[in-house]
This record gives sequence, C-alpha cells and structure tokens, in this order.
Amino acid sequence: MKLKIGIAITIFFTGLALGVYFFSPHTFHGTVIQSPNPSFDFTLTGADGDVSLSDFRGKLVVIYFGYTFCPDICPATLANVGQALRRMNENQSKNVQLIMISLDPERDTPKKLSEYVVHFYPSFIGITGSNEKLAEVTSLYGIFYEKSAGSTTENYTIDHTATLLVIDREGYLKLVFPFGVTVDEIADDLKYMLR
Amino acid sequence: MNKYLLNGLYFLFAIIIISAFAFKLFQPIKVLPRMQLAPAFNLTDQNDARLTSEELRGKFVLYNFTYVNCPAPCYNLNKTMQEVQTRLSEAELGDIQVEFITISFDPDRDTSAVLRTYADSIGADTKQWSFATNTNKALLKTIIGSGFETYYEDKGDGKFAFDPSFVLVDGWGIVRAEYRYQTEVSDADRIIRHLSVLAEEVRNSTGTAKLAYEAAHLFLCYAP
Repeated sequence: MKLKIGIAITIFFTGLALGVYFFSPHTFHGTVIQSPNPSFDFTLTGADGDVSLSDFRGKLVVIYFGYTFCPDICPATLANVGQALRRMNENQSKNVQLIMISLDPERDTPKKLSEYVVHFYPSFIGITGSNEKLAEVTSLYGIFYEKSAGSTTENYTIDHTATLLVIDREGYLKLVFPFGVTVDEIADDLKYMLR
Repeated sequence: MNKYLLNGLYFLFAIIIISAFAFKLFQPIKVLPRMQLAPAFNLTDQNDARLTSEELRGKFVLYNFTYVNCPAPCYNLNKTMQEVQTRLSEAELGDIQVEFITISFDPDRDTSAVLRTYADSIGADTKQWSFATNTNKALLKTIIGSGFETYYEDKGDGKFAFDPSFVLVDGWGIVRAEYRYQTEVSDADRIIRHLSVLAEEVRNSTGTAKLAYEAAHLFLCYAP
C-alpha cells in the first residue's frame, strides 16, 4: 500500500513539473501593460506623407523614439530589432512594423529619416513632426527628451528615454522593453504576440 | 494510444487546470495592475527648479492635481497627501523612496513663488512633496488631462471644474493605481496598502519569484 502511495505521489509531482514546464504561459521579457484604453493615435510625417499609428492596425507596431544623429543607443536598438525580425519567418516579420519617431525635426527631414531607418531593416519607417506635436506624442508615451548642447549650435545631442514600445494588433500598448533588451528577447516576445 | 498514457495526459491537464483555478481562487499573491504609461513631463516646482519625470524613475510617486485658489475640497486632498506622507512607515517600503507631487493646472496664477507660499501655508514637507506646473497650457492639458486622465476645465471666473484624484506611479513610470477622491472611505488607507503591495512586487521582481508575480498579473489577482 505504501509503495502505491509513493508511486502516486511521484507521478503527481512529476506530472506537475512537466505540466508547468510545457504548459506554463509565456514569460515576457518586456514589461506587460494591461491598459484598458487603446494607445494614443498620432499622425506624423514620413517620406511618403502622413503616417498614423492606426494605419497599422492588424500588425504589431514597435515604436522607437530617437534621432539619426544619435551616436550609439539608437543605432544599437534599431539594429537589435532588425536582427530580431530576421530571426522570424517571413509570415511573422511582415506582420511587425517598426516606426522610429525622430525627436530632432530640425535635422531629420522625413527623407533623411527614411534613408536612415532602412539601413536596419527594409520595412522600417521613420517619421517626425512639429515640436508641439512631438511634445504631445512623447508625453503620452512616457518618453522624456531634451536637447543637450554640443560644441556648435548644430552639433547638439538629444537625451531621451530609450525604451521600445510594442503596440498589439488591436492598437493597445502591450509591452515596454527597457534599453539593453537582447535580439533573442525581442524576437521571443514578438513571436509569441504573433501566435 | 496507450490507455495509461492517455490517462496520464488527462491527469496532467487536470492538475494544471486545478492549479490555475486554485491560484485564481486563493490569490496567494496580490499585485496592482499595470494600467498605462505615465506621461513624461518637464515642470517647474515651488523653488523654480526643474522637475522631470525622468528624475523620478526608480521611485514611487503619488500625484494629485489642483490649483492654489481652489476652495474647500482641495483642503481634503491635501490632507490625504499629508496623511499618506505621515503614515509612510506603515507601508513596509524598505529602501524604496516615495515622492509626492501636486501639479497645478492654473499656471497663470500659480507661479513658483505662489506655490511655495501655498506649500508653507498647508505645512507641506517639501523635502518629499513638490508643487509644480508648466506655463505651456496645451502641454499641461496633455500631461494632466490625457496622460493622467484627470479632467479639469477653466470656468473663466477664476475657478476650475475638476475631478479630484490621486495617481500612483511606480519606478518604471507605469500607472499602477488611480484613486477618484472618495469622502466615505479614507483614500490614505488604500494608498498605503497599495504602496506595500507595490514594494513587495519590486522586492520580488527577479528570479523565480518574478514568475509567480507575473502569474498574479496574468490571473488578475489585484489588491483591493
């Protein structure tokens, strides 16, 4: 009898361990947001005209705030997202749209932005807008930014929050990746969200 | 399929479902929802110094919204802020710092000097409690109205209509609780309780414990 109980307990815990391993929910690498409201739908300017967040309903939208003169953080982050998309199959990657919003409309024309972002991945889009519009969009996406003076008036940098934001297919902010998230982590979470 | 294997699979599914149900039912871990990103801002405080959302990263921040010329109800809002500040030791915060920020939506009249006088008049401890605003009214409306989802409207006669509220933001800049001012029960009690819940989650935000907390978010095990 004792042997049977022992076997039953062993089976129970083995089953529990296997169940947790195989059927546990995905653990996101980014921070999951459970917002009851859709994300703020902005409209900014790209190389081919106005671009709105709602234009991409049905796709995952990864939003990154940066600028083309950004010395290190922006290219590193964009390169990571580009690599993450290359680790997906075609059906997955075509359903992810990265939008880079430039915080430097004085130097980043829509054309220049467009040429910059496609270096990282062909489908990437770069957009920007007036300082007033950018102040509104950044505030509502929790992005702080400010100019930092350089050696000349044109040689300034922009300090900014370096998070990556992921909007789900229905237009809700779902994930916030901190700066430093790896290619594998981005790919892992995006693939899960595309299931 | 082998009968024993099939029974084993049924057994496995039953355990998973029972475990999930038990987690949801007994809610061994409580969390606060991650409601939305708090707005970013650049304000000027009562000392004419810059106050940005970026420098508040890593701290819990309790916000409320008002104006200096506000009549009676604002006095109660301030009392709640003061009560939470006084009773902060009840919240088991450990090393986590808490800041209190009152944002004025009346920048025309509420200059830094006026805010400083106001803070003094209500006996606010300004080491931890800042009073701030931004002279760009459109941006202020974006921050308070859209970002913090708190309604206010200039009635044009020196008075504002507004929803008295408090908003609790965590160290990652995420709104974790909103308190629409209530007269029947103490908001301070709930806020202090929520600060404890939040601090507990921060202390368990790595390793295996993180998984349990993520499960609590998944199963909506929200603290009352």
